[in-house]
Amino acid sequence: MRDVQDTAAGVDAPAAGLWADRGDAPAYAAELCPNRSLSRRGQRRFVWLLAGSFCVPLLPLVATPVIWIPMAFAALAVGFMAWALGRNSADAMLVERIAVWPDEMRVERIEPSGRVLRWSADPYFVRLTLHADARPEQYLTLRGGGREIELGAFLSPDERVRLAGEIEAAIRRALPRFEPAPR
Amino acid sequence: MADAAVHAHDHAKPDFFTRWFCSTNHKDIGILYLITAGVVGLISVAFTMYMRLELMEPGVQYMTFEDGTPNGHIWNVMVTAHGVLMMFFVVIPALFGGFGNYFMPLQIGAPDMAFPRLNNLSYWLFTAGSTLAILSVFVPGGNGQMGSGIGWVLYAPLSTREDGMSTDFAIFAVHLSGASSILGAINIITTFLNMRAPGMSMMKVPLFAWSIFITAFMILLALPVLAGAITMLLTDRNFGTAFFDPAQGGDPGLYQHILWFFGHPEVYILIVPAFGIISHVISTFSKKPIFGYTGMVFAMVGIAVLGFVVWAHHMYTVGMSKNAQAYFMLATMVIAVPTGIKIFSWIATMWGGVLDLRTPMLWAIGFLFLFTVGGVTGIVLSQAGIDRAYHDTYYVVAHFHYVMSLGAVFGIFCGIYYWIGKMSGRQYPELYGKIHFWSMFIGANITFFPQHFLGRQGMPRRYIDYPEAFALWNYVSTIGAFISMASFLFFLYVIYYTLTKGEKVTEPNYWDDDLGTLEWTLPNPPPEHTFETLPKREEWDKQPAH
Repeated sequence: MRDVQDTAAGVDAPAAGLWADRGDAPAYAAELCPNRSLSRRGQRRFVWLLAGSFCVPLLPLVATPVIWIPMAFAALAVGFMAWALGRNSADAMLVERIAVWPDEMRVERIEPSGRVLRWSADPYFVRLTLHADARPEQYLTLRGGGREIELGAFLSPDERVRLAGEIEAAIRRALPRFEPAPR
Repeated sequence: MADAAVHAHDHAKPDFFTRWFCSTNHKDIGILYLITAGVVGLISVAFTMYMRLELMEPGVQYMTFEDGTPNGHIWNVMVTAHGVLMMFFVVIPALFGGFGNYFMPLQIGAPDMAFPRLNNLSYWLFTAGSTLAILSVFVPGGNGQMGSGIGWVLYAPLSTREDGMSTDFAIFAVHLSGASSILGAINIITTFLNMRAPGMSMMKVPLFAWSIFITAFMILLALPVLAGAITMLLTDRNFGTAFFDPAQGGDPGLYQHILWFFGHPEVYILIVPAFGIISHVISTFSKKPIFGYTGMVFAMVGIAVLGFVVWAHHMYTVGMSKNAQAYFMLATMVIAVPTGIKIFSWIATMWGGVLDLRTPMLWAIGFLFLFTVGGVTGIVLSQAGIDRAYHDTYYVVAHFHYVMSLGAVFGIFCGIYYWIGKMSGRQYPELYGKIHFWSMFIGANITFFPQHFLGRQGMPRRYIDYPEAFALWNYVSTIGAFISMASFLFFLYVIYYTLTKGEKVTEPNYWDDDLGTLEWTLPNPPPEHTFETLPKREEWDKQPAH
């Protein structure tokens, strides 16, 4: 489960509309979504392959009354297969978006049902923790704004470690630097 | 927002009823399939023992009416029930439902099947179908007796004219089995295509997972056609239609075409998962990566594709044109090419390897030898001219039992010995495994090899009795069947012993296979939930061919 799209500082955040109330681009933005090993195009191809394969038994039966019942079962099989692939991909339509500004950090989670959950905190006070021995391994949490939330639970442990490093660096970069006053 | 720690809790352990009767866990459902297939297999084998006992000597000794006259209906019922049970309720459920459910998701790093509840439904449809199939033997049927004696192929018009409800039970049983297999196939295909671990492209997938995917595709293509055919049988029997009744313009030959469009791929549906298991076992016990991974994958694909365009070689004698026969003959022979690629690749894997002849490897080598014998007699039978002589003789019986009884079933035993430590956490005693192998190997060969001689002598199949001239090899064959049955009962004891007193195995990779697939990274038995987080690439990407 990957697809971590890391937009470096200054690059437009993905689906900027979700951050519409802020006009400025975030210093760091990333979008996480679960892995699905077959693309939509691959799904369509597979369903067409299956439907085309049914021509082998059905074409010789054309113009006989015997064709209708096997064809009905074949259509059911193709339809159910197409539904299953689509449904399985829809179940994975989970998106977590992370954005860091100098004065705010936001996480948005869009669930397969369409429900949108939001979290925001001051990056200065955000605490990022990788729980090495947790189950799942390298469980990543963010504490801030009075809550502790999980991040990228659907990613592989390696990806979570990488993500934690990126977020930590982004927060460090985004926070205003302390410049000692000139003497 | 998903609050932290929702994933970090331990899951409550389900009680016995919930775990085994309401399970949605692919591993538990896999075990349920294996157990149920084993029970149905025992019943089916008991039927064959009854048949072999009857054939031990000329004359009818056991299947008689009370006055001692032969009762051929019992014979026909036994033949039908053995075929229906073995084809639909033993081998597919064990290899595809059992091992496929348990190990395919593990090998591709998926946490479970794509649709766990659908998986549960598939299993219970299969169980309901098995129950109906067994009941079909004991409910009123043809000739005013119990059961139907129409053969597993349910040929019309025999099946449309058989009295009683037994045939309807058998047809519904096949329907339920078909529904179960189609749902299972859709689930497996979705899991395989959509839920592979990141980076695991199609040509990096382990061969067993490939074999299950190919089998699922064949099931999805073949079984709806069969469902259509037997639905028409039902309507012919019960609603006055005449799809297959020549007296009213129907065509019984058409039923045979539709049936065999399913029936021939069925052979590969049974055997391809065994190919997958054998590939892993030979690689593990040769301490070598599988030879020609890409060739092995495309050979399976080729076998599946060709399997769908050769069906009428089962029907050379129904009156097809010479051109049609020539086509089906040539196409059938072409299947020897991908099959040969597999056989030679397995041999090449062993070549120069450090062979470890433990029980799973013995079953794998046994499979190789016996499947080759069955394959070669298949090439003989593919010749339309020669088939005129051998058609419906014991030569055909010997051929398909070498492929299925000695091929697919050896694959099942191979898988059980290979993975039982992983599934149960306990290992079988090596000596017991070897005794089981050798007794089954010898018994099955003594049973079926002489049937080639009987076929060449001209003994027809599906008969309760035979002339004195066929007595010797029938006697030998029955002795072989007794040995095989004893071996099977001993196998049940080995399983019982392993599960209760077998040595515990704590090492996840207990065969010490450096090239092992993902299931070997898990404890024995694997926890209820596996790969909730995705496996690391280095855990599975070990084959140099990748």
